[in-house]
Amino acid sequence: MIYDVRHLTRYEYDAEVSVNTCVLHLLLRSLDGQVVEQSAINVTPPATRMEERPDMFGNRVTHLRIETPHRELAIEAKSRVRVDRPPAPMPRITPTWESVAAASAAAQSLSADSPAFALYPSRMVDLFDDATRYAAESFRADRPIYEAALELNKRIRADFRYDSKATKVSTTPAQAFAKRSGVCQDFAHIMIAGLRGLGLSASYVSGYIRTIPPPGRARLAGADASHAWVSLWCGRQFGWLGLDPTNAIPVGNDHVVIGFGRDYADIAPVEGVALSSGGHDLEVEVDVIPVAE
Amino acid sequence: MGVNTRAIESEGERVRAQIAEWTQDYAPLPGIPDEFVGADGARRPHWERLLQALASIGPGEIEQRFATADRRIRDRGMSYRVPGESVERTWPLGRMPLLIPEAEWRDIAAGIAQRADLLERVLSDVYGAGRLGAEGLLPAAALTGSPDFLASMRGVNPPGKRWLRLYAADIGRGPDGRWWVLGDRTQAPSGAGYALENRLVISQAFPALYGEMNVERLAPFFRQLRAGLKSSGARSEPRICILTPGPMSQTYFEQAYLARYLGFLLVEGDDLVMREGRVYVRTIAGLKQADVIWRHVDADWCDPIESNSASRIGVPGLFDAIRAGGVSTENMPGAGLIESRALLAFLPGLARRLLGEDLAMPNVATWWCGQPAEREKVLASLGSVAIASAFRETVPGFGDKRSVLGQELSAAQRERLSRSIAARGVDYVGQDVVRLSTTPRWENGKLAPRPFVLRVYAAATAEGWRVMPGGFCRVADHVDARAVSMGAGVESADVWVLADKPVETTSLLPTPGKVRIVRLLGNLPSRAADNLFWFGRYIEREEATLRLLRCLCSRAVDPDAPMSGARQSLERLRAVLVSWGAITAAQAKLPLPRAAEAALRDGDNYGSALDIARSARHAASVIRERLTQQTWQLIGRLETCILAAPDRPLAEPEMIDCTEEALATIAALSGLFDENFNRGAGWIFYELGRRIERGINTCRLARHFLAENATAQSLTILLDLIDSQITYHSRYLIGVALAPVRDMALLDPFNPRSVAFQAQAIDHHIATLPVLRQDGMIEEPRRLSTLLRAELETQNAEDITDQRILILEQRLTALAEAIGARYFLQGAQHARAEKVIGLA
Repeated sequence: MIYDVRHLTRYEYDAEVSVNTCVLHLLLRSLDGQVVEQSAINVTPPATRMEERPDMFGNRVTHLRIETPHRELAIEAKSRVRVDRPPAPMPRITPTWESVAAASAAAQSLSADSPAFALYPSRMVDLFDDATRYAAESFRADRPIYEAALELNKRIRADFRYDSKATKVSTTPAQAFAKRSGVCQDFAHIMIAGLRGLGLSASYVSGYIRTIPPPGRARLAGADASHAWVSLWCGRQFGWLGLDPTNAIPVGNDHVVIGFGRDYADIAPVEGVALSSGGHDLEVEVDVIPVAE
Repeated sequence: MGVNTRAIESEGERVRAQIAEWTQDYAPLPGIPDEFVGADGARRPHWERLLQALASIGPGEIEQRFATADRRIRDRGMSYRVPGESVERTWPLGRMPLLIPEAEWRDIAAGIAQRADLLERVLSDVYGAGRLGAEGLLPAAALTGSPDFLASMRGVNPPGKRWLRLYAADIGRGPDGRWWVLGDRTQAPSGAGYALENRLVISQAFPALYGEMNVERLAPFFRQLRAGLKSSGARSEPRICILTPGPMSQTYFEQAYLARYLGFLLVEGDDLVMREGRVYVRTIAGLKQADVIWRHVDADWCDPIESNSASRIGVPGLFDAIRAGGVSTENMPGAGLIESRALLAFLPGLARRLLGEDLAMPNVATWWCGQPAEREKVLASLGSVAIASAFRETVPGFGDKRSVLGQELSAAQRERLSRSIAARGVDYVGQDVVRLSTTPRWENGKLAPRPFVLRVYAAATAEGWRVMPGGFCRVADHVDARAVSMGAGVESADVWVLADKPVETTSLLPTPGKVRIVRLLGNLPSRAADNLFWFGRYIEREEATLRLLRCLCSRAVDPDAPMSGARQSLERLRAVLVSWGAITAAQAKLPLPRAAEAALRDGDNYGSALDIARSARHAASVIRERLTQQTWQLIGRLETCILAAPDRPLAEPEMIDCTEEALATIAALSGLFDENFNRGAGWIFYELGRRIERGINTCRLARHFLAENATAQSLTILLDLIDSQITYHSRYLIGVALAPVRDMALLDPFNPRSVAFQAQAIDHHIATLPVLRQDGMIEEPRRLSTLLRAELETQNAEDITDQRILILEQRLTALAEAIGARYFLQGAQHARAEKVIGLA
């Protein structure tokens, strides 16, 4: 599957901004099952400086600095990506979750894909008993890890309501859990909290998903959105496997990955510090357009 | 002859009796070593010597000297903050030092130096090759649980060549009599400055004792620390900054003190800016490179771009600059990882692997429950070990407890803890229970054995690790203590390392000819300029407010004040106080003494004398390292003399006394600044603040009292307020008249209270400040000040209108804004995408 992805973020500031420093996680990275043919960022007003380097997880981070005074800022990322993921393993053949937890604690590597990084509470994901207990219902003794994880993935979709008004970016997983509602970010955080509570390594994935318009209707321009899901470490043999609790599906060829982090804070698409005296308004437009099978 | 002998004998008896009185109830706790009394019941000779020396000072005098020490602590403003409290606490310094004989100290120092060496190697492996992990000696998860493990620092060469430059360890003496390491401090070790201050206070109260007891000096250690920091910079004369979280930090006093003592620049995150891989200080002369940053900010808060994006106290891009080698940051961000308790479990093995030797000073026995065998051992002995968090301050699931003892838990709690450890062992460590030894603490005229923790410091120098001969000691006020942190009841103690021979007074003078002569320390940071400017403005505003109050009260009690017009002028004075925010409109309707009292000390009014005094102190607190102790003391006194008035309705004469005293304090402060403050840029900004504020105030008073229809009464009041009565009457034999009074208040360049005088001074000061423009064009502040000055110099008193006075005032305000825009910092706004749309 080949996609053209366009992600536009537009800020309108209440007062003039003299210096704007932003960190962007918008450029796509090539991975197993995902080849990036092109990925570039365009900024208005033009950047005084724009540099790219990898972060601790190997994601592509763009540091942006604008020293032209401005009241509006538009950041547009355009990418072409070819997605062809290997099929997910048979759930039954994956190891027991207890053995994976033990392997995670005993990991020796400190490289970017080490399960050791995804094992602990992180800036936006505190562990809490409710989430652990909720996850534990699927993780019964000696159950294959991927089988239990797929069940948890389905239960979250069934038990939680999608509601974009219910939460904000800063909502904690415990708050979203108590409300039983939220958006993809909240569901991913809740699932991560539950899995880590069991001693498993789970990370946060930022990316996009292709939307299929209702039958007979055209795809609406700009109506897609950035998306988030979970990647669970399933032992040395199977490595990291993607789970999308918002849609109750495993991650497949409809998903496009931007990057991985311990939670949203590691991989927020756009974050910045502006020298200005006022607040701001924000608009986001995303298009994920399939260009070839 | 016989009489003398008897006198000596009786003096000896008195000393013995005195010591007996102090120590008769002193009984070490069973099974716990004590610093004063040995296990055999014998008193240690060095303690006997100290008590002898103290007792021979004489009972009256010793109290007096302790009182001197207490006063010095208050005068020096020694303080610390307890998290969550808004007011700083006075530093609790105990009267008894902790004594450590040289032979014993040598072992401690060797143990600390070895450990510092080991930790440096561990850090460079963890952030470098990662061999220890690959060899199975250090599991990755024993590192990644630490919020201070910064994966983004992997593969980075520290610009200062090391991960650690200042290391501290908390040590305690265990039941076996040996010293044990209880914890490591590698993030930004605090307390070294307090140790130095403790020494200063006690040595000033008991100057002779140090010589008699052969106490090792601390100053050489700080010279070595400074040399080490200096050598980590790339340039030969590096600019060294202490990065502070700001005045709300727990140990701001210490940071300001160290900056003063070592001659470093105290900066907050806002003062620094990263450009092209280097870090610069924002100064009034533009950006100046910072070579070395001694951070007192936790790594997580250091760089909002890479770590905690909520941080307002960091420097965006700092980590990038470190990676580019553009600035050396001590200790390296990421070094705080060592502070995790999980690491204590691995250090004995790592010492053997990396150093080929055992730890010279053991650390408290620790088992990380992320390892199956260790977890089983801890679970099996839950009743006898202490459980603590492997990486965080407090035990997960047990509130704010730093550790829990299995034996102290209920069956249900123990069950819950067992389950948590079984599920997520990685989060927990089990540790041997630490029982600390005791040292004498002075309590109500007697000595009592109290548990203590000693923090020792090591600085990296070109010649290896140097350990401070002394340290920062915390003594508890109760018998049972497992951890002693500063807080309720805990005292600090000076730490004396006792040499066997008299200690040489090392010369503090550097080699002649090696010192470059410097007259002015250039490049005042913008934040310091800002605060000095506002300090000047607040002091001036305080003076004007107090003068208004004094005028109001003395007119109210003056029996000679002519009745006609008196009432009207009192009303006008009240109106001024309302417009200045000193009293509310409602308070202005109160009887006069109550209204005046509100203007004096109603802290809710932003323009009351009390509130302005507080604002002045706040501005000063941010630049504390630039002020002398005496200045700081006077600033505090300004507030206390307003608060000292009795807590009941005050009569006018009492209020006059109070304002007089506050005005005298301001005069003393002004005198200190004028006579003692170096005529560098700092003084100029203080002066600019005062001059601009005075100019504005005089204009505002002139608008009230020198309007075209002003009465003789109000002209007299104005002369009174601007302190020009005598001059006026010696110049003009006729009574008061509008034009001459206006001339005196606004235009007369010889009158230090006139607006023209301020304008001249402002223009002169701005002319001496550095210029950024390189095209020869005039900068905005200078343009405005020159314009204002010329206007006032050429104006005639007869031509002045009410409108003209208002314009003058606006010109001054515009000038203040131009100064702010050109020389000070601008605030930063943080934007994050709060609206992110997901998918159904």
